[in-house]
Amino acid sequence: MTGFIDLYTEADTFLHRMDPRVKILAVLLLSILAFLLSGLSSLLLLLTFIFLLLFLARATLGKTLFALKFVLRFMVLIVILWPIFDPSGTPVLATLGPVKMTEPAIWRGVTSAVRVGCLATVWYILMFSTSQRDLVRALVKMGLRFDFGLALAISLRFLPTFSLTIESIKDAQRARGLELDRGGLLRRSKNYVAVLAPTIVSALRTADTLSLALQSRAYGARADRTYLRDLRMRSSDYVSLAVVLLLVVVPAFAIFFMGVSL
Amino acid sequence: MIPQPVTDGGPTIISLGDVKFTYDGGVEALKGVTLNIKKGEYVAVVGGNGSGKTTLAKQMNGLLRPGGGTVTIGGRPAAPQTVAELSRVVGYVFQNPDHQLFSPSVEEEVLFGPENIGYSGPDSRNKAEHAMALMGIGHLRKEPPLSLNLGARRKVTIASVLAMSPQVLVLDEPTTGLDDQESRDLMAGIDGLNKQGLTVILITHEMKIVAEHANRVVVMAEGRIVLDSDVKGAFADIELLRQSKLVPPPITLLAHRLSAYGISRDVLSTDEFVFEASKMIGGSR
Repeated sequence: MTGFIDLYTEADTFLHRMDPRVKILAVLLLSILAFLLSGLSSLLLLLTFIFLLLFLARATLGKTLFALKFVLRFMVLIVILWPIFDPSGTPVLATLGPVKMTEPAIWRGVTSAVRVGCLATVWYILMFSTSQRDLVRALVKMGLRFDFGLALAISLRFLPTFSLTIESIKDAQRARGLELDRGGLLRRSKNYVAVLAPTIVSALRTADTLSLALQSRAYGARADRTYLRDLRMRSSDYVSLAVVLLLVVVPAFAIFFMGVSL
Repeated sequence: MIPQPVTDGGPTIISLGDVKFTYDGGVEALKGVTLNIKKGEYVAVVGGNGSGKTTLAKQMNGLLRPGGGTVTIGGRPAAPQTVAELSRVVGYVFQNPDHQLFSPSVEEEVLFGPENIGYSGPDSRNKAEHAMALMGIGHLRKEPPLSLNLGARRKVTIASVLAMSPQVLVLDEPTTGLDDQESRDLMAGIDGLNKQGLTVILITHEMKIVAEHANRVVVMAEGRIVLDSDVKGAFADIELLRQSKLVPPPITLLAHRLSAYGISRDVLSTDEFVFEASKMIGGSR
Protein backbone atom coordinates (compact mmCIF):
# COMPACT_ATOMS: atom_id res chain seq x y z
CA MET A 1 0.00 0.00 0.00
CA THR A 2 2.81 2.39 0.87
CA GLY A 3 4.60 1.38 -2.33
CA PHE A 4 1.99 3.26 -4.27
CA ILE A 5 2.60 6.46 -2.38
CA ASP A 6 6.31 6.36 -1.69
CA LEU A 7 8.71 5.13 -4.33
CA TYR A 8 11.71 5.86 -2.08
CA THR A 9 13.87 2.79 -1.57
CA GLU A 10 16.29 2.77 1.31
CA ALA A 11 19.86 2.21 0.14
CA ASP A 12 23.30 3.78 0.34
CA THR A 13 24.27 4.74 -3.20
CA PHE A 14 25.95 7.87 -4.52
CA LEU A 15 22.49 9.03 -5.66
CA HIS A 16 21.09 8.57 -2.16
CA ARG A 17 23.98 10.53 -0.70
CA MET A 18 23.74 13.34 -3.26
CA ASP A 19 22.38 16.66 -2.05
CA PRO A 20 18.65 16.61 -2.87
CA ARG A 21 18.89 20.12 -4.32
CA VAL A 22 21.46 18.87 -6.84
CA LYS A 23 19.15 16.01 -7.67
CA ILE A 24 16.21 18.34 -8.26
CA LEU A 25 18.35 20.59 -10.48
CA ALA A 26 19.81 17.62 -12.34
CA VAL A 27 16.39 16.18 -13.03
CA LEU A 28 15.16 19.56 -14.27
CA LEU A 29 18.23 19.91 -16.53
CA LEU A 30 17.79 16.41 -17.95
CA SER A 31 14.13 17.20 -18.61
CA ILE A 32 15.23 20.25 -20.61
CA LEU A 33 17.65 18.01 -22.49
CA ALA A 34 14.77 15.68 -23.40
CA PHE A 35 13.03 18.68 -25.00
CA LEU A 36 16.19 19.82 -26.83
CA LEU A 37 16.89 16.46 -28.44
CA SER A 38 14.81 15.64 -31.49
CA GLY A 39 16.51 12.54 -32.89
CA LEU A 40 15.24 9.11 -31.91
CA SER A 41 18.72 7.67 -31.35
CA SER A 42 19.84 10.51 -29.07
CA LEU A 43 16.60 10.26 -27.08
CA LEU A 44 17.08 6.50 -26.76
CA LEU A 45 20.60 7.19 -25.53
CA LEU A 46 19.17 9.57 -22.90
CA LEU A 47 16.59 6.97 -21.87
CA THR A 48 19.37 4.40 -21.48
CA PHE A 49 21.34 6.85 -19.35
CA ILE A 50 18.27 7.42 -17.14
CA PHE A 51 17.76 3.68 -16.70
CA LEU A 52 21.43 3.29 -15.85
CA LEU A 53 20.97 5.86 -13.08
CA LEU A 54 17.81 4.10 -11.89
CA PHE A 55 19.78 0.88 -11.78
CA LEU A 56 22.54 2.60 -9.81
CA ALA A 57 19.90 3.98 -7.41
CA ARG A 58 19.07 0.31 -6.70
CA ALA A 59 15.47 0.83 -7.70
CA THR A 60 13.88 -2.56 -7.15
CA LEU A 61 12.51 -4.21 -10.26
CA GLY A 62 9.02 -4.56 -8.77
CA LYS A 63 8.72 -0.87 -7.93
CA THR A 64 10.22 0.20 -11.27
CA LEU A 65 7.79 -1.93 -13.23
CA PHE A 66 4.93 -0.65 -11.10
CA ALA A 67 5.94 2.94 -11.83
CA LEU A 68 6.59 2.21 -15.51
CA LYS A 69 3.15 0.69 -16.02
CA PHE A 70 1.52 4.12 -16.10
CA VAL A 71 4.15 5.67 -18.38
CA LEU A 72 4.11 2.73 -20.77
CA ARG A 73 0.36 2.98 -21.31
CA PHE A 74 0.80 6.63 -22.17
CA MET A 75 3.69 5.91 -24.54
CA VAL A 76 1.73 3.25 -26.41
CA LEU A 77 -1.17 5.67 -26.74
CA ILE A 78 1.13 8.31 -28.29
CA VAL A 79 2.55 5.85 -30.84
CA ILE A 80 -0.98 4.85 -31.86
CA LEU A 81 -2.51 8.33 -31.95
CA TRP A 82 0.33 10.29 -33.55
CA PRO A 83 0.02 8.87 -37.10
CA ILE A 84 -3.76 9.29 -36.95
CA PHE A 85 -3.55 13.02 -36.32
CA ASP A 86 -0.43 13.73 -38.36
CA PRO A 87 -0.96 12.84 -42.05
CA SER A 88 2.16 14.66 -43.34
CA GLY A 89 5.09 13.11 -45.20
CA THR A 90 5.59 10.17 -47.51
CA PRO A 91 5.47 7.24 -48.10
CA VAL A 92 1.85 6.65 -47.18
CA LEU A 93 1.59 3.23 -45.59
CA ALA A 94 -2.17 2.87 -45.24
CA THR A 95 -5.33 4.84 -45.90
CA LEU A 96 -8.49 4.33 -43.93
CA GLY A 97 -11.17 6.75 -45.05
CA PRO A 98 -9.95 10.24 -44.15
CA VAL A 99 -7.08 8.84 -42.04
CA LYS A 100 -3.70 8.60 -43.73
CA MET A 101 -0.85 6.74 -42.08
CA THR A 102 2.63 7.80 -43.17
CA GLU A 103 5.99 6.33 -42.24
CA PRO A 104 7.57 9.58 -40.97
CA ALA A 105 4.52 10.16 -38.77
CA ILE A 106 5.00 6.78 -37.13
CA TRP A 107 8.65 7.64 -36.42
CA ARG A 108 7.62 11.00 -35.03
CA GLY A 109 5.14 9.18 -32.78
CA VAL A 110 7.82 6.80 -31.55
CA THR A 111 10.23 9.70 -30.94
CA SER A 112 7.64 11.61 -28.93
CA ALA A 113 6.80 8.52 -26.95
CA VAL A 114 10.45 8.03 -26.05
CA ARG A 115 10.70 11.72 -25.09
CA VAL A 116 7.69 11.36 -22.79
CA GLY A 117 9.29 8.22 -21.39
CA CYS A 118 12.46 10.20 -20.62
CA LEU A 119 10.51 13.05 -19.03
CA ALA A 120 8.63 10.69 -16.74
CA THR A 121 11.37 8.26 -15.79
CA VAL A 122 13.92 10.97 -15.06
CA TRP A 123 11.76 11.98 -12.08
CA TYR A 124 11.85 8.41 -10.81
CA ILE A 125 15.59 8.86 -10.20
CA LEU A 126 14.69 11.60 -7.73
CA MET A 127 11.75 9.74 -6.21
CA PHE A 128 13.60 6.44 -5.80
CA SER A 129 16.67 7.92 -4.16
CA THR A 130 15.27 10.79 -2.08
CA SER A 131 13.16 10.39 1.03
CA GLN A 132 10.15 12.66 1.27
CA ARG A 133 11.77 14.36 4.24
CA ASP A 134 14.90 15.20 2.25
CA LEU A 135 12.81 16.37 -0.67
CA VAL A 136 10.87 18.80 1.48
CA ARG A 137 14.06 19.92 3.20
CA ALA A 138 15.59 20.69 -0.19
CA LEU A 139 12.55 22.65 -1.32
CA VAL A 140 12.58 24.69 1.89
CA LYS A 141 16.30 25.34 1.49
CA MET A 142 15.63 26.45 -2.08
CA GLY A 143 13.24 29.12 -0.82
CA LEU A 144 9.91 27.40 -0.14
CA ARG A 145 8.32 28.80 3.01
CA PHE A 146 8.86 26.42 5.92
CA ASP A 147 5.17 26.15 6.78
CA PHE A 148 4.36 25.24 3.16
CA GLY A 149 7.15 22.67 3.27
CA LEU A 150 5.82 21.25 6.51
CA ALA A 151 2.31 21.10 5.10
CA LEU A 152 3.66 19.23 2.08
CA ALA A 153 5.65 16.82 4.27
CA ILE A 154 2.63 16.16 6.46
CA SER A 155 0.33 15.53 3.52
CA LEU A 156 2.80 13.05 2.05
CA ARG A 157 3.26 11.43 5.43
CA PHE A 158 -0.49 10.99 5.95
CA LEU A 159 -1.33 9.58 2.53
CA PRO A 160 -0.72 5.93 3.53
CA THR A 161 -2.49 6.43 6.87
CA PHE A 162 -5.38 7.89 5.00
CA SER A 163 -5.72 5.12 2.49
CA LEU A 164 -5.96 2.74 5.47
CA THR A 165 -8.68 4.90 7.02
CA ILE A 166 -10.65 4.87 3.77
CA GLU A 167 -10.36 1.06 3.57
CA SER A 168 -11.64 0.80 7.12
CA ILE A 169 -14.55 3.14 6.37
CA LYS A 170 -15.46 1.16 3.26
CA ASP A 171 -15.44 -2.06 5.31
CA ALA A 172 -17.56 -0.49 8.03
CA GLN A 173 -20.20 0.58 5.51
CA ARG A 174 -20.08 -2.73 3.66
CA ALA A 175 -20.81 -4.41 6.99
CA ARG A 176 -23.96 -2.29 7.04
CA GLY A 177 -25.07 -3.73 3.74
CA LEU A 178 -23.70 -0.99 1.47
CA GLU A 179 -22.72 -2.26 -1.96
CA LEU A 180 -20.50 0.37 -3.48
CA ASP A 181 -20.37 -0.94 -7.03
CA ARG A 182 -24.06 -1.59 -7.37
CA GLY A 183 -26.63 0.44 -9.26
CA GLY A 184 -26.41 3.21 -11.82
CA LEU A 185 -24.14 6.23 -11.70
CA LEU A 186 -26.51 8.25 -9.51
CA ARG A 187 -27.00 5.42 -7.01
CA ARG A 188 -23.26 4.78 -6.93
CA SER A 189 -22.35 8.40 -6.30
CA LYS A 190 -24.99 8.47 -3.56
CA ASN A 191 -23.40 5.33 -2.08
CA TYR A 192 -20.08 7.11 -1.93
CA VAL A 193 -21.51 9.76 0.39
CA ALA A 194 -21.45 7.08 3.09
CA VAL A 195 -17.71 6.75 2.51
CA LEU A 196 -16.84 10.38 1.79
CA ALA A 197 -18.56 11.94 4.81
CA PRO A 198 -16.73 9.82 7.42
CA THR A 199 -13.48 10.27 5.46
CA ILE A 200 -13.75 14.04 5.62
CA VAL A 201 -14.75 13.98 9.28
CA SER A 202 -11.80 11.72 10.12
CA ALA A 203 -9.47 13.97 8.17
CA LEU A 204 -10.69 17.05 10.02
CA ARG A 205 -10.39 15.34 13.39
CA THR A 206 -6.84 14.20 12.54
CA ALA A 207 -5.92 17.69 11.34
CA ASP A 208 -7.30 19.22 14.51
CA THR A 209 -5.35 16.85 16.77
CA LEU A 210 -2.23 17.29 14.68
CA SER A 211 -2.38 21.07 14.83
CA LEU A 212 -2.64 20.94 18.62
CA ALA A 213 0.30 18.53 18.75
CA LEU A 214 2.35 20.90 16.57
CA GLN A 215 1.43 23.90 18.67
CA SER A 216 2.26 22.10 21.88
CA ARG A 217 5.72 21.59 20.45
CA ALA A 218 6.12 25.33 19.91
CA TYR A 219 5.52 25.28 16.19
CA GLY A 220 5.80 28.82 14.83
CA ALA A 221 7.19 30.25 18.06
CA ARG A 222 10.00 31.98 16.18
CA ALA A 223 10.16 33.07 12.58
CA ASP A 224 13.74 31.85 12.18
CA ARG A 225 13.92 28.22 13.16
CA THR A 226 17.06 26.11 13.31
CA TYR A 227 17.60 22.69 11.75
CA LEU A 228 19.37 19.70 13.23
CA ARG A 229 20.45 18.46 9.84
CA ASP A 230 21.39 21.24 7.49
CA LEU A 231 21.98 20.61 3.82
CA ARG A 232 25.50 21.42 2.75
CA MET A 233 26.95 20.96 -0.72
CA ARG A 234 29.95 18.68 -0.80
CA SER A 235 32.61 18.57 -3.49
CA SER A 236 31.06 15.44 -4.98
CA ASP A 237 27.78 17.34 -5.30
CA TYR A 238 29.50 20.10 -7.31
CA VAL A 239 31.08 17.48 -9.55
CA SER A 240 27.71 15.80 -10.17
CA LEU A 241 26.10 19.13 -10.95
CA ALA A 242 28.93 20.04 -13.33
CA VAL A 243 28.62 16.73 -15.16
CA VAL A 244 24.88 17.15 -15.67
CA LEU A 245 25.36 20.78 -16.72
CA LEU A 246 27.87 19.68 -19.37
CA LEU A 247 25.49 16.96 -20.53
CA VAL A 248 22.92 19.64 -21.27
CA VAL A 249 25.03 22.61 -22.29
CA VAL A 250 27.16 20.79 -24.86
CA PRO A 251 24.20 19.44 -26.90
CA ALA A 252 22.42 22.78 -26.51
CA PHE A 253 25.46 24.59 -27.89
CA ALA A 254 25.76 22.12 -30.75
CA ILE A 255 22.09 22.48 -31.63
CA PHE A 256 21.75 26.26 -31.38
CA PHE A 257 25.15 27.51 -32.52
CA MET A 258 26.52 24.80 -34.79
CA GLY A 259 23.24 23.83 -36.39
CA VAL A 260 23.70 20.17 -35.54
CA SER A 261 20.54 18.13 -35.44
CA LEU A 262 20.62 15.77 -32.45
CA MET B 1 -23.37 -9.23 36.95
CA ILE B 2 -22.50 -12.88 37.66
CA PRO B 3 -21.62 -14.63 34.39
CA GLN B 4 -23.89 -17.40 33.32
CA PRO B 5 -22.59 -20.79 32.24
CA VAL B 6 -21.91 -21.37 28.57
CA THR B 7 -25.15 -22.14 26.79
CA ASP B 8 -25.02 -25.57 25.34
CA GLY B 9 -27.45 -27.38 23.16
CA GLY B 10 -28.20 -24.34 20.97
CA PRO B 11 -27.61 -24.63 17.24
CA THR B 12 -24.15 -23.63 15.98
CA ILE B 13 -24.41 -20.28 14.26
CA ILE B 14 -20.79 -19.62 13.35
CA SER B 15 -18.43 -22.36 12.39
CA LEU B 16 -14.84 -21.80 11.32
CA GLY B 17 -12.88 -24.84 10.18
CA ASP B 18 -9.08 -24.55 10.01
CA VAL B 19 -9.29 -20.99 8.70
CA LYS B 20 -6.04 -19.53 7.41
CA PHE B 21 -5.48 -15.98 6.28
CA THR B 22 -2.47 -14.08 4.98
CA TYR B 23 -2.53 -10.35 4.27
CA ASP B 24 -1.24 -8.95 0.96
CA GLY B 25 1.97 -7.80 2.58
CA GLY B 26 2.71 -11.42 3.57
CA VAL B 27 1.67 -11.22 7.22
CA GLU B 28 0.22 -14.58 8.21
CA ALA B 29 -2.59 -13.40 10.48
CA LEU B 30 -4.47 -16.68 10.95
CA LYS B 31 -2.61 -19.97 10.99
CA GLY B 32 -5.49 -22.43 11.09
CA VAL B 33 -8.30 -21.43 13.43
CA THR B 34 -11.19 -23.72 14.31
CA LEU B 35 -14.02 -22.18 16.27
CA ASN B 36 -17.68 -23.02 16.74
CA ILE B 37 -20.05 -20.53 18.28
CA LYS B 38 -23.54 -21.49 19.35
CA LYS B 39 -26.61 -19.32 19.25
CA GLY B 40 -26.95 -17.19 22.37
CA GLU B 41 -23.33 -17.40 23.46
CA TYR B 42 -21.45 -14.39 24.86
CA VAL B 43 -17.91 -14.86 23.61
CA ALA B 44 -14.95 -12.60 24.30
CA VAL B 45 -12.11 -12.84 21.79
CA VAL B 46 -8.98 -11.55 23.51
CA GLY B 47 -5.32 -11.26 22.63
CA GLY B 48 -2.55 -8.70 22.25
CA ASN B 49 -2.27 -6.33 19.31
CA GLY B 50 -1.53 -8.26 16.15
CA SER B 51 -2.69 -11.59 17.59
CA GLY B 52 -5.27 -11.93 14.80
CA LYS B 53 -8.48 -11.25 16.69
CA THR B 54 -9.84 -8.60 14.33
CA THR B 55 -8.80 -10.66 11.31
CA LEU B 56 -10.71 -13.58 12.82
CA ALA B 57 -13.80 -11.48 13.36
CA LYS B 58 -13.73 -10.11 9.82
CA GLN B 59 -13.96 -13.68 8.49
CA MET B 60 -17.37 -13.93 10.08
CA ASN B 61 -19.09 -11.44 7.79
CA GLY B 62 -17.00 -11.81 4.68
CA LEU B 63 -15.01 -8.58 4.96
CA LEU B 64 -12.02 -10.89 4.70
CA ARG B 65 -12.20 -14.23 2.92
CA PRO B 66 -10.17 -17.20 4.18
CA GLY B 67 -7.07 -18.26 2.29
CA GLY B 68 -7.77 -21.79 3.45
CA GLY B 69 -10.40 -23.59 5.47
CA THR B 70 -14.16 -23.11 5.66
CA VAL B 71 -16.52 -20.53 7.12
CA THR B 72 -20.13 -21.49 7.76
CA ILE B 73 -22.57 -18.84 8.92
CA GLY B 74 -26.07 -19.79 10.07
CA GLY B 75 -25.65 -23.25 8.58
CA ARG B 76 -24.72 -21.98 5.10
CA PRO B 77 -21.25 -21.68 3.60
CA ALA B 78 -20.11 -18.06 3.65
CA ALA B 79 -17.98 -18.22 0.50
CA PRO B 80 -20.73 -17.68 -2.11
CA GLN B 81 -22.46 -14.96 -0.07
CA THR B 82 -21.74 -11.24 -0.33
CA VAL B 83 -20.91 -9.08 2.68
CA ALA B 84 -24.38 -7.52 2.38
CA GLU B 85 -26.00 -10.97 2.55
CA LEU B 86 -23.86 -12.06 5.48
CA SER B 87 -24.60 -8.82 7.31
CA ARG B 88 -28.21 -9.99 7.77
CA VAL B 89 -26.85 -12.72 10.05
CA VAL B 90 -23.66 -11.21 11.45
CA GLY B 91 -23.70 -7.55 12.40
CA TYR B 92 -20.24 -6.06 12.75
CA VAL B 93 -19.63 -2.87 14.72
CA PHE B 94 -16.31 -1.21 13.95
CA GLN B 95 -14.05 0.19 16.62
CA ASN B 96 -14.06 3.80 15.48
CA PRO B 97 -17.57 5.32 15.25
CA ASP B 98 -16.17 8.10 13.10
CA HIS B 99 -15.53 5.52 10.40
CA GLN B 100 -19.20 4.91 9.86
CA LEU B 101 -21.31 7.86 10.95
CA PHE B 102 -22.31 10.19 8.12
CA SER B 103 -26.02 10.94 8.32
CA PRO B 104 -27.51 14.28 9.37
CA SER B 105 -29.56 12.62 12.12
CA VAL B 106 -29.33 9.56 14.36
CA GLU B 107 -32.61 8.29 12.92
CA GLU B 108 -31.36 8.33 9.33
CA GLU B 109 -28.08 6.77 10.43
CA VAL B 110 -29.90 3.83 11.99
CA LEU B 111 -32.18 3.48 8.95
CA PHE B 112 -29.23 3.18 6.56
CA GLY B 113 -28.54 -0.53 7.20
CA PRO B 114 -32.07 -1.96 6.93
CA GLU B 115 -32.71 0.12 3.80
CA ASN B 116 -29.49 -1.18 2.24
CA ILE B 117 -30.46 -4.81 2.69
CA GLY B 118 -33.86 -4.22 1.20
CA TYR B 119 -36.42 -3.97 3.98
CA SER B 120 -39.52 -2.02 3.05
CA GLY B 121 -39.98 1.52 4.37
CA PRO B 122 -42.28 0.66 7.31
CA ASP B 123 -40.23 -2.45 8.15
CA SER B 124 -37.03 -0.41 8.20
CA ARG B 125 -38.68 2.19 10.41
CA ASN B 126 -39.87 -0.45 12.89
CA LYS B 127 -36.46 -2.06 13.00
CA ALA B 128 -34.74 1.29 13.48
CA GLU B 129 -37.18 2.24 16.26
CA HIS B 130 -36.59 -1.08 17.99
CA ALA B 131 -32.81 -0.78 17.68
CA MET B 132 -32.80 2.78 19.05
CA ALA B 133 -34.98 1.68 21.95
CA LEU B 134 -32.63 -1.24 22.71
CA MET B 135 -29.64 1.09 22.89
CA GLY B 136 -31.60 3.79 24.72
CA ILE B 137 -30.95 6.52 22.16
CA GLY B 138 -34.55 7.22 21.09
CA HIS B 139 -34.39 10.70 22.56
CA LEU B 140 -31.40 11.54 20.34
CA ARG B 141 -33.18 10.67 17.10
CA LYS B 142 -33.04 14.19 15.63
CA GLU B 143 -29.49 14.92 16.76
CA PRO B 144 -26.62 14.87 14.27
CA PRO B 145 -24.69 11.71 15.31
CA LEU B 146 -21.26 13.23 14.76
CA SER B 147 -21.85 15.91 17.38
CA LEU B 148 -22.66 13.38 20.15
CA ASN B 149 -20.11 12.31 22.74
CA LEU B 150 -18.12 9.13 22.13
CA GLY B 151 -20.30 6.89 24.32
CA ALA B 152 -23.45 7.97 22.51
CA ARG B 153 -21.75 7.77 19.09
CA ARG B 154 -20.83 4.19 19.84
CA LYS B 155 -24.42 3.41 20.83
CA VAL B 156 -25.60 4.86 17.53
CA THR B 157 -23.21 2.61 15.61
CA ILE B 158 -24.43 -0.42 17.54
CA ALA B 159 -28.08 0.55 16.96
CA SER B 160 -27.37 1.07 13.27
CA VAL B 161 -26.13 -2.52 13.04
CA LEU B 162 -28.87 -3.93 15.29
CA ALA B 163 -31.46 -2.37 12.99
CA MET B 164 -30.52 -4.97 10.39
CA SER B 165 -31.74 -7.56 12.95
CA PRO B 166 -28.69 -9.78 12.87
CA GLN B 167 -28.49 -12.97 14.92
CA VAL B 168 -24.87 -12.31 15.87
CA LEU B 169 -23.36 -9.03 16.98
CA VAL B 170 -19.59 -8.63 16.62
CA LEU B 171 -18.19 -5.68 18.56
CA ASP B 172 -14.61 -4.56 17.94
CA GLU B 173 -13.23 -2.94 21.09
CA PRO B 174 -16.52 -1.27 22.05
CA THR B 175 -15.20 0.30 25.26
CA THR B 176 -12.04 1.94 23.88
CA GLY B 177 -11.88 5.58 24.88
CA LEU B 178 -14.94 5.45 27.11
CA ASP B 179 -14.82 6.49 30.75
CA ASP B 180 -15.86 4.05 33.43
CA GLN B 181 -19.46 5.23 33.59
CA GLU B 182 -19.94 5.24 29.80
CA SER B 183 -18.32 1.84 29.60
CA ARG B 184 -20.62 0.31 32.26
CA ASP B 185 -23.61 1.88 30.61
CA LEU B 186 -22.71 0.50 27.20
CA MET B 187 -21.88 -2.98 28.49
CA ALA B 188 -25.16 -3.12 30.40
CA GLY B 189 -26.92 -2.51 27.11
CA ILE B 190 -24.94 -5.27 25.40
CA ASP B 191 -25.61 -7.69 28.28
CA GLY B 192 -29.31 -6.96 27.79
CA LEU B 193 -29.07 -7.87 24.10
CA ASN B 194 -27.42 -11.18 24.95
CA LYS B 195 -30.12 -11.95 27.52
CA GLN B 196 -32.68 -11.51 24.77
CA GLY B 197 -30.96 -14.26 22.81
CA LEU B 198 -28.53 -12.33 20.60
CA THR B 199 -25.17 -14.03 20.14
CA VAL B 200 -22.48 -11.54 21.15
CA ILE B 201 -18.83 -11.70 20.09
CA LEU B 202 -16.74 -9.14 21.89
CA ILE B 203 -13.24 -8.32 20.68
CA THR B 204 -11.36 -6.65 23.48
CA HIS B 205 -8.21 -6.57 25.53
CA GLU B 206 -9.85 -5.20 28.65
CA MET B 207 -9.83 -8.20 30.95
CA LYS B 208 -12.19 -6.56 33.40
CA ILE B 209 -14.85 -6.39 30.70
CA VAL B 210 -14.23 -10.04 29.81
CA ALA B 211 -14.44 -11.19 33.42
CA GLU B 212 -17.61 -9.32 34.20
CA HIS B 213 -19.58 -9.84 31.01
CA ALA B 214 -18.64 -12.74 28.74
CA ASN B 215 -19.26 -16.40 29.49
CA ARG B 216 -16.70 -17.84 27.12
CA VAL B 217 -13.18 -16.67 26.34
CA VAL B 218 -11.19 -17.33 23.20
CA VAL B 219 -7.56 -16.30 23.63
CA MET B 220 -5.63 -15.58 20.42
CA ALA B 221 -1.86 -15.43 20.10
CA GLU B 222 0.14 -15.23 16.88
CA GLY B 223 -2.74 -16.25 14.66
CA ARG B 224 -3.83 -19.23 16.69
CA ILE B 225 -6.38 -19.94 19.39
CA VAL B 226 -4.33 -20.80 22.46
CA LEU B 227 -7.21 -21.10 24.88
CA ASP B 228 -10.94 -21.58 24.48
CA SER B 229 -12.82 -22.06 27.70
CA ASP B 230 -15.48 -20.66 29.98
CA VAL B 231 -14.46 -17.50 31.79
CA LYS B 232 -13.71 -19.13 35.14
CA GLY B 233 -11.39 -21.65 33.52
CA ALA B 234 -9.56 -18.99 31.54
CA PHE B 235 -8.66 -16.90 34.55
CA ALA B 236 -7.51 -19.89 36.54
CA ASP B 237 -4.57 -20.25 34.14
CA ILE B 238 -2.82 -16.95 34.83
CA GLU B 239 0.48 -18.17 33.41
CA LEU B 240 -1.06 -18.87 30.00
CA LEU B 241 -2.74 -15.48 30.01
CA ARG B 242 0.59 -13.82 30.73
CA GLN B 243 2.21 -15.67 27.85
CA SER B 244 -0.50 -14.20 25.62
CA LYS B 245 0.35 -10.72 26.95
CA LEU B 246 -2.90 -10.56 28.89
CA VAL B 247 -3.31 -9.60 32.49
CA PRO B 248 -6.34 -10.76 34.47
CA PRO B 249 -8.33 -8.07 36.27
CA PRO B 250 -6.71 -6.87 39.53
CA ILE B 251 -9.47 -8.40 41.64
CA THR B 252 -8.74 -11.86 40.19
CA LEU B 253 -5.01 -11.40 40.81
CA LEU B 254 -5.78 -10.41 44.40
CA ALA B 255 -7.94 -13.51 44.81
CA HIS B 256 -5.07 -15.67 43.53
CA ARG B 257 -2.71 -14.07 46.04
CA LEU B 258 -5.17 -14.70 48.85
CA SER B 259 -6.07 -18.22 47.77
CA ALA B 260 -3.92 -19.59 50.60
CA TYR B 261 -6.39 -17.95 52.98
CA GLY B 262 -9.36 -19.69 51.47
CA ILE B 263 -10.42 -17.24 48.77
CA SER B 264 -11.51 -18.99 45.59
CA ARG B 265 -9.15 -18.53 42.64
CA ASP B 266 -11.93 -18.04 40.14
CA VAL B 267 -13.16 -14.70 41.47
CA LEU B 268 -14.00 -12.43 38.53
CA SER B 269 -15.69 -9.38 39.99
CA THR B 270 -15.60 -7.23 43.07
CA ASP B 271 -19.01 -8.57 44.09
CA GLU B 272 -17.75 -12.14 44.01
CA PHE B 273 -14.66 -11.12 45.91
CA VAL B 274 -16.74 -9.52 48.65
CA PHE B 275 -18.85 -12.66 48.80
CA GLU B 276 -15.76 -14.89 49.07
CA ALA B 277 -14.12 -12.61 51.60
CA SER B 278 -17.20 -12.45 53.80
CA LYS B 279 -17.39 -16.25 53.67
CA MET B 280 -13.76 -16.41 54.77
CA ILE B 281 -14.21 -13.90 57.56
CA GLY B 282 -17.45 -15.60 58.60
CA GLY B 283 -15.72 -18.98 58.61
CA SER B 284 -12.79 -17.85 60.75
CA ARG B 285 -15.06 -16.50 63.43
